[in-house]
Amino acid sequence: MNANAFWHFLTLQLVKERNKHFSIILISMMIVFLLSSVLFISSSIRFSLEETLKVQPDFVVSRTQGGTAIPTPMEWSDELLEIYGVSHVTPRVYGRYFFEPKAKSFLLVGVDFMEEQSHKNLQVLITSTDIKAFFEGNQMLVGQGVKEYLNAHFYKDAYNFVTPKGKFQKVTMFKTLPSQTNLLANDMIVLPIDLARKILGYTDEEATDILFNVPNTDEWELMTDKLSALHYDLHVVNKKEVQKSYANLYNYKGGVFLILFLILLATFALILYQRYSMVYSSERRHIGLLRALGWSINAVLKFKFTETIVVVSVSYILGVLLAYLYVFVLGAPILREIFLGGQNLHNVVSFVPVLDFSVLSSIFLIYALPFIASVLIPVWKVSVTDPKEAML
Amino acid sequence: MMDDVMMIKIENLYRTFHHGGNEVPVLKDINLNIAKGECVVLKGVSGSGKTTLLSLIAGLDKPSSGKVLIEDDPISKLPDLFASELRARKIGMIFQHFNLFEHLTVQENVTIPLITSGLKMKEIQTKVDTALHLANISHKKEIQAGRLSGGEKQRTAIARALVADPNIILCDEPTANLDRDNSLLFIEILKELHTLGKTIVIATHDPLFDHLDFRNTIVPMVDGKIV
Repeated sequence: MNANAFWHFLTLQLVKERNKHFSIILISMMIVFLLSSVLFISSSIRFSLEETLKVQPDFVVSRTQGGTAIPTPMEWSDELLEIYGVSHVTPRVYGRYFFEPKAKSFLLVGVDFMEEQSHKNLQVLITSTDIKAFFEGNQMLVGQGVKEYLNAHFYKDAYNFVTPKGKFQKVTMFKTLPSQTNLLANDMIVLPIDLARKILGYTDEEATDILFNVPNTDEWELMTDKLSALHYDLHVVNKKEVQKSYANLYNYKGGVFLILFLILLATFALILYQRYSMVYSSERRHIGLLRALGWSINAVLKFKFTETIVVVSVSYILGVLLAYLYVFVLGAPILREIFLGGQNLHNVVSFVPVLDFSVLSSIFLIYALPFIASVLIPVWKVSVTDPKEAML
Repeated sequence: MMDDVMMIKIENLYRTFHHGGNEVPVLKDINLNIAKGECVVLKGVSGSGKTTLLSLIAGLDKPSSGKVLIEDDPISKLPDLFASELRARKIGMIFQHFNLFEHLTVQENVTIPLITSGLKMKEIQTKVDTALHLANISHKKEIQAGRLSGGEKQRTAIARALVADPNIILCDEPTANLDRDNSLLFIEILKELHTLGKTIVIATHDPLFDHLDFRNTIVPMVDGKIV
């Protein structure tokens, strides 16, 4: 078969039967778009979380009582420092502060100016801030959602927190956290640690938990045992476990979508199969006629396969491009809400563009294989029957 | 005109269809030899088996027993690839219902049998132009097949049957959907093909074919048998 003649006829068929192909491309493109959007969002969230977790300390210990976290004694910090291989021990104070009028809450995070780890974490959130100035006076760094919410309630420059003792504590807004951090810090308020203690009701001898690093990862498992022996009520979590729980959460959400997608794809494949086998009699007649005009079974299959590959590729490319624009330019409206869950405060998340080749090839395989099979199996069945019968 | 070379040989041919567990014999013990350049009319009423016989000659159907030889090649027993190649090279088929791709133009329809021929597009175009000219449909070559009259569709089907320059032309009830004028025009084209040395087999019950001045044989068929 001459390649030019083959492609000439293929192009002719695609152009002349554009209405049929257009509708198939449109439906398939929407399917690819949906699948790609879900996988793009889930990859992007996972990437952002992993990036954030990279700068997080290796271990977090806290005190528990009856399965509930209670304030952790600061003296544990000194005990941790004495363990060989432990470095950068940092107590952390944080907690939820409920804004009474509408029961919205902010995440208050106290940072210690004297601690290097706190600086490192803070620098991830704010790149061009004078940290020294921030620690002078009662000031706070607020997430975009917090800023928006307080402004809507006429708190433009400062807010009066109510301490557990019922007293007001005025804190001025120092700066707003950048929008790139919205995924994690939308409802966050960063305060000097002493101020956070006052608002959340901690004494100077207490912290919410204590962070530290163990640079030698081979020691991590042993470290967990050592820590558990230190205090019976000590609860320890390492970075790998945190990473795993985040990954599980978004894999779960992605998995639910994947199942929905597979159901959708199966339905589509069934429609295509019916279209090409029983219902779509003109397609049968065309195949029979090609055979009657001297086309071999191989030639018919090659033609239909190439035609299907063109349709599949066009819808794949368009679907992926559309999904890229939808997720990374428009911020994935609707799907974003489903993925990020019911937001405490209004949140405008911008997803970090992540193009993973394995994700793209998975999308192609999950979509293309059933598509091609659902077209080619009936085409093959018609091709191998006698042309006379197929033309009836 | 005719010579002794046998173009089509049919030996002890049977074709039986199976319907709901019942066997329906459609062709019974057909033996027929058609020489090169001969024009044969298979004559019979509907259900006499002439269309089935034509399909078996073209290799569009498989016999229950017996064989069909096209220039000594057993088309009914060849694997698909060779049978298709033989059909594309040696047989041109004209159907009762024209069987055109309605969404394609006349020219594009005529091109189809040559797509798998291995010829270059330029060579294909030359052959297509020749076939369109022979079938007297060149002036409509850019028109979509769905917009043609019955006669024009038939001439397009003729051009398509001729485009690969086959030795054998098989016509299945070629005038069944044509008026008298178009039927006579079709017969004129057949006559021209006959003068070109083509072997022609026509399955029809149209009385117009009873008195052809170029026809060599009438093969009457009744109930799947040559009588």
